[in-house]
Amino acid sequence: MAELDSSKSLSALLNGIAQCTYFSNPEISEEFLQQELYPQLSPHEFRALMDKMRGVFKSIVSADMDLNQLEAFLTAQTKKQGGITEEQARVIAKFWKNHKTNIRESLITQSRWDNSLKTINWRVDLKSQSRDMDLGNTPVAIAEIELGKNGQESEFLCLEFDEPKINYILKKLSEAEKSITALTHTS
Amino acid sequence: MASSGKSLAGSRPSFLGARVPSAVETMAQHLQELDRDTFRKLLKVVVSALEGKDCRESVKLILETSTLSEEQLTFLISGMYSLLQEALRLPMSTLKQEAFKEDLKDLRIPEDFITDFASLIFGNRRTVLEAAVQKRGIQLPGLEDFRWRVDVAISTSSLARALQPSILMQLKLSDKTSHRFEVPVAKFHELRYNVALILKEMNDLEKRSILKIQD
Repeated sequence: MAELDSSKSLSALLNGIAQCTYFSNPEISEEFLQQELYPQLSPHEFRALMDKMRGVFKSIVSADMDLNQLEAFLTAQTKKQGGITEEQARVIAKFWKNHKTNIRESLITQSRWDNSLKTINWRVDLKSQSRDMDLGNTPVAIAEIELGKNGQESEFLCLEFDEPKINYILKKLSEAEKSITALTHTS
Repeated sequence: MASSGKSLAGSRPSFLGARVPSAVETMAQHLQELDRDTFRKLLKVVVSALEGKDCRESVKLILETSTLSEEQLTFLISGMYSLLQEALRLPMSTLKQEAFKEDLKDLRIPEDFITDFASLIFGNRRTVLEAAVQKRGIQLPGLEDFRWRVDVAISTSSLARALQPSILMQLKLSDKTSHRFEVPVAKFHELRYNVALILKEMNDLEKRSILKIQD
């Protein structure tokens, strides 16, 4: 098999592993990957290759390796008995560079169990009159907040805020932001 | 302008509008021969009605103890109710006490009763009445309390080193429900930006004097 083809197949295999392990794509199965990418291998051989790649990839993902760490790790893997070839190392490195952010993002989302904020839509109205009261043309903000879990139906909150309330929320959010900045800059 | 709506200056319209509600006019006529004691009793009933309380019993009591006919009583109560309702619709910045008194004088309402009406609309009771009126209005739930916590996920089942901050928020609403949710950092910045934008829009809106009716 030409080198180009084999690196293509391996890259596709890695993609398949990522899809079913990290993005929970139910359409990708082991049989499917073998049929499409490695029809020449026996199921036994394919399984060995898949397990090896999965193991190597899992270590990379779990440690969220940066490029230096990755290079050191892959070099060690090529030198190990029964490890990976240099060509495979190149393919893995390239794949990780391209998908690192997405995979990490997906994993972080997977360990989020509470509802999370999805969207916020708002508009500002001017209150003017009601049946019982002249509302004195005061501005009011109406916000629709979508809260939901992945793969579940969202819940929508529709709220109204006057200006002091918006000011209060903004103050609270600024406090929270200070705290986030402090954390991300020291670590 | 309605016959009894003319003010001394002639230019300022009555707070009751260009055409004074007929209920108010009829009441003003019936007020002429009313004693202050009964007037105060009636006022009390009308105020409770404005506050949303059931006053059928107290009305029955007045009917039994006073010399008023049922028809007279109906005219008085509905007129007083309309008058107070109209006065409460206007914010205090728009309706001045002097103007209010003047308008009632134009309706030939006796001086003593004007004092009682005015002390109700411009006195301590106003806040209670306003709150009751506001309660009856349509309103979306508002925010009562807002709490936050910043968490940093250190490690998870699939990530040895996650070190990912996220914000946990809890909103307590005026409809007594409370909602807790997580906000990823990127979403948090989006939220903060939007809240700041809302505030700016509101401030801009307030500055546009065209929307304000100046006295």
